Amino acid sequence: MSIRHGLLALLNGGPRYGYQLRTEFEASTGATWPLNIGQVYTTLARLERDGLVTPNGADEQGRALYAITDAGRAELERWFATPVAQSDRPRDELAIKIAMAVAGADVDVGAVIHNQRMATMRALQDLTRAKRAATGVAQSLVVDGLIFKAEAEQRWLDHCEAVARTSKEKNV
Amino acid sequence: MTVVKLRDVTRVHGQVRALGGVSLEVSAGELVAVMGPSGSGKSTLLNLAGGLDRPTSGAVEIEGRDLAAVRDLAAVRRRSVGYVFQDLNLIPSLTAAENVMLPREFDGVPARRARTEAMVALAEVGAEETAGRFPEELSGGQRQRVAIARALAGERRLLLADEPTGALDTATGDEILRVLRSRCDEAGAAVLLVTHEPRYAAWADRVIYLRDGLIVDAADVRLESAR
Repeated sequence: MSIRHGLLALLNGGPRYGYQLRTEFEASTGATWPLNIGQVYTTLARLERDGLVTPNGADEQGRALYAITDAGRAELERWFATPVAQSDRPRDELAIKIAMAVAGADVDVGAVIHNQRMATMRALQDLTRAKRAATGVAQSLVVDGLIFKAEAEQRWLDHCEAVARTSKEKNV
Repeated sequence: MTVVKLRDVTRVHGQVRALGGVSLEVSAGELVAVMGPSGSGKSTLLNLAGGLDRPTSGAVEIEGRDLAAVRDLAAVRRRSVGYVFQDLNLIPSLTAAENVMLPREFDGVPARRARTEAMVALAEVGAEETAGRFPEELSGGQRQRVAIARALAGERRLLLADEPTGALDTATGDEILRVLRSRCDEAGAAVLLVTHEPRYAAWADRVIYLRDGLIVDAADVRLESAR
């Protein structure tokens, strides 16, 4: 997850102050990535250190504004042009758990898979509710992304169950 | 209010047990999804719930009436139950409005009233613009909306949907679920939805998993905010 690039993208639309960045970030991600204001300021400080943003005076209420620099715009362009790597997936623990369950002699694989399926379905139901409540296309597409991932996990679990079942039948 | 109730229902075809002792209730305003692998009994369950088939044992009640005691099942099906399938939905030589009117006319409703009801039902599913057009002139999503309108025209409160999103892309499929959901939330319809796609099942209040003709578990996430 890149808060850094998210903030750059927002600043690309014009100078903004810290709290405003936080609000807009959360709104465009459908509140799926809550930020605390500390994270926003730490990230802004690092972006400034790297020359990607610069202080831009204050608004009429005295709030410190930040603006994107040319280097910041180039970095943002590079980010949009680079695909995201398939790594650091939270499913890794699940994959290991299922693998261990299948390999283990006295583990009820079906039960492990089923518990996970129920939990993932609940998450999917929550996401669907969030999608129904979403205002705006950006928000709803972010939720859609999470829905597709949860759905992929469900399908993979169905697959695990079917394969584990047939292999068990063959071994008996 | 319970719209459909299955009590310990079994269905045996020759040597094969398609359904083995399933109990299930669906209330007005509730959307229940049925999931499970091929051959797990999903469609059998749906057919029994709608009176398209009779159970080997156990009882099915629709709006409080035990179907075993009903002589004219076809009349119950026409008056109380609407069906939406993946295909074979609409009659090609009739317009959308005529398709929606048809089951009501079979039921003896005069044409003028049936047409008014059809227009209301089409408007409720956001398909009023399709009224005068033939099925082949409609998109897949529009055709399914018309099928849902036909299933719910009149006073029918039970809608049985078997893979209604089958051939649709995900955005259109989501739209169909949005329509089904709003029929539950706004019109108090009871919907039993068979699907193998988790993304559509997730629109339901309850998700039931069938395995070898039995309910293995149910994800019940009825939240106050869902109403």
